[in-house]
Amino acid sequence: MTEVSIEKLTKTFGSARAVDGISVRIANGEFISLLGPSGCGKTTTLKMIAGFEDVSGGAIRFDGQDVVNVPAEKRDIGMVFQNYALFPHMTVEQNLAFGLEMRKVAKPEMRSRISRVLEMVQLTGYAERYPRQLSGGQQQRVALGRALVIEPKILLLDEPLANLDAKLREEMRVFIRDLQRRVGITTVYVTHDQAEAMTMSDRVVVMFGGRIAQIGVPADIYERPENLDVAQFVGQVNLVKGTVREGGSDGRCAVETTFGVIEVHSARMHAPGTAVTLTLRPEAIELGAPGKGAKGTVLSSYYSGSLIDYRIELEGGDIIHTQAFPHNRFADKERVGVYAPADRFWLLGAAA
Amino acid sequence: MSRKVLTVYCLLVYAFLLAPILVVVGASFNAGSFLTFPPQGLSLRWYVTFFNNEVFMRAIRTSLWVAAVSTVISTLIGTAAALYYVQHAGRGKEAIRIAMLSPLLLPEVLTAISLLFFVYSVGIGTQTMFAMIVGHVLITLPFVFINVSASLETFDPAWDMAARSLGAGRFTRFRRIMLPLIKPGVIGGALFAFIISFDIFTISFMLKGIGTSTLPIQLFDYLRTNFTPEAAAVSTVSIVLTLVVVIVSEKVLGLRIHRF
Ligand SMILES: Nc1ncnc2c1ncn2[C@@H]1O[C@H](COP(=O)(O)OP(=O)(O)OP(=O)(O)O)[C@@H](O)[C@H]1O
Ligand SMILES: [Mg+2]
Repeated sequence: MTEVSIEKLTKTFGSARAVDGISVRIANGEFISLLGPSGCGKTTTLKMIAGFEDVSGGAIRFDGQDVVNVPAEKRDIGMVFQNYALFPHMTVEQNLAFGLEMRKVAKPEMRSRISRVLEMVQLTGYAERYPRQLSGGQQQRVALGRALVIEPKILLLDEPLANLDAKLREEMRVFIRDLQRRVGITTVYVTHDQAEAMTMSDRVVVMFGGRIAQIGVPADIYERPENLDVAQFVGQVNLVKGTVREGGSDGRCAVETTFGVIEVHSARMHAPGTAVTLTLRPEAIELGAPGKGAKGTVLSSYYSGSLIDYRIELEGGDIIHTQAFPHNRFADKERVGVYAPADRFWLLGAAA
Repeated sequence: MSRKVLTVYCLLVYAFLLAPILVVVGASFNAGSFLTFPPQGLSLRWYVTFFNNEVFMRAIRTSLWVAAVSTVISTLIGTAAALYYVQHAGRGKEAIRIAMLSPLLLPEVLTAISLLFFVYSVGIGTQTMFAMIVGHVLITLPFVFINVSASLETFDPAWDMAARSLGAGRFTRFRRIMLPLIKPGVIGGALFAFIISFDIFTISFMLKGIGTSTLPIQLFDYLRTNFTPEAAAVSTVSIVLTLVVVIVSEKVLGLRIHRF
């Protein structure tokens, strides 16, 4: 099993920097997601790890060994592509056998490994089918099996669920995650779907414009975002303006807001009077009769089945979004109390 | 209504294309001594005459041989060119395409005359079949190139990457992944090359050596002085030969496109 370490990895196309000096250590058996908007360099990073793309600068180490000059076919990686890339002229079995043949695995062992993997991806009985005779989800599992049957050092997946419908996508998330845990293989997973990254990963690497904006466990990324870009990319977020009352040298900072004085975490000292912005996730907010929490007025509401989306103007002028169960509906222009627990506010850039 | 019109229109087009062929085939079974249609009585006598005609037999052998050799050569060159064109050509891509297709764009006579100049100026001449084969390769190359490039355009680079990630080197990837997947294009191109080469007149006429007439030239020669149904028999046999080549390659090599 393998630890992957990426150091100051850079890729330039002409004068454009697709990947701009990223560093991350991926522990043995860890599931890491590269998350970011289209064009931020996720695929390019993955291709450099796989060896399909030359490196412009920096190092990639598998268990301490620099692999930058090792060609892709010698890196011992398993890769799953967005369109699966199954060989159309080969049956499922032949697709799975291909990598084993390249490794000159003996016939009997090959057969037992293939049947074991087919069982693992729940496709026993499909060995003789051609890819075109399989559904999208089944093809996806064949692709996964083909990557895993060679028992590679690391598993790389580039938006493997993007072509599946919503329901299947959720099933496959769980399926891939469970499989990865069982096999215990170091995994790098590329996606631009934040929910996917959150539910599957041990840690998420958020990228913007070829750089890493934040690395952390899903809860950190969601609840303690480094900056506004990250906060907005991983979900809906409300911004609450505030003024520092007390800078605090103990890593705490008291901020005065329409919600009252909120004490937030801050590694940095802030002079009293400094204007700051706090983030607040919509689901942290509780709406009620005026009195509890900040005073607000309902601007608009949208019914969306299980929840109602509200847009609310706070007394100080901040506009926030939140959702509430439909059992007590608030009318437009109705005055409401907007409450959120103090520990759900987060000062952007607090860790810096 | 418009469907009917379309059907009739299609039938008319078919009739226009196929009628002359049917007439030739019909005329070849003529029992009479002149090339007429409808035939005056049925007979195979002109086929017998044809198969006993040593000059025609030699011409058919020459044609088959020239077509086979030039097909092999243009399939190899055309496939390699298409590979480069689709996978590696950067800036010069359009230029390569035009260069590869130019034998189709130029009048055949022009190509023939330039080749004639060329082979004499470099001292090869037309004593051997070399010049004629070069000409046939030139004319058939675009057909291989077009067919192979078209099938390469549908080749997903991810297949190649997948094979690489599974540990396959360059040669294995070509042999086990790319070649089987572009095979319909390669075989289709080769078939085109063969049929076109079998049919080439102008180039063969200009570049042939002494005693190396191909079938179309021999037929032309024959028709200048004779007007018997033997000519129709020759044509019919060459149509059948072409069909046989197409059907056999389809059965043996699997021309039928994979359906993914
Ligand atoms: N071969 C190439 N030549 C030039 N520029 C490239 C090349 N490949 C990628 N780029 C550029 O590098 C940047 C990063 O591309 P990359 O494919 O890694 O993005 P991504 O994060 O995977 O996006 P997506 O979510 O859309 O797949 C993009 O701006 C892209 O235009
Ligand atoms: Mg991508």
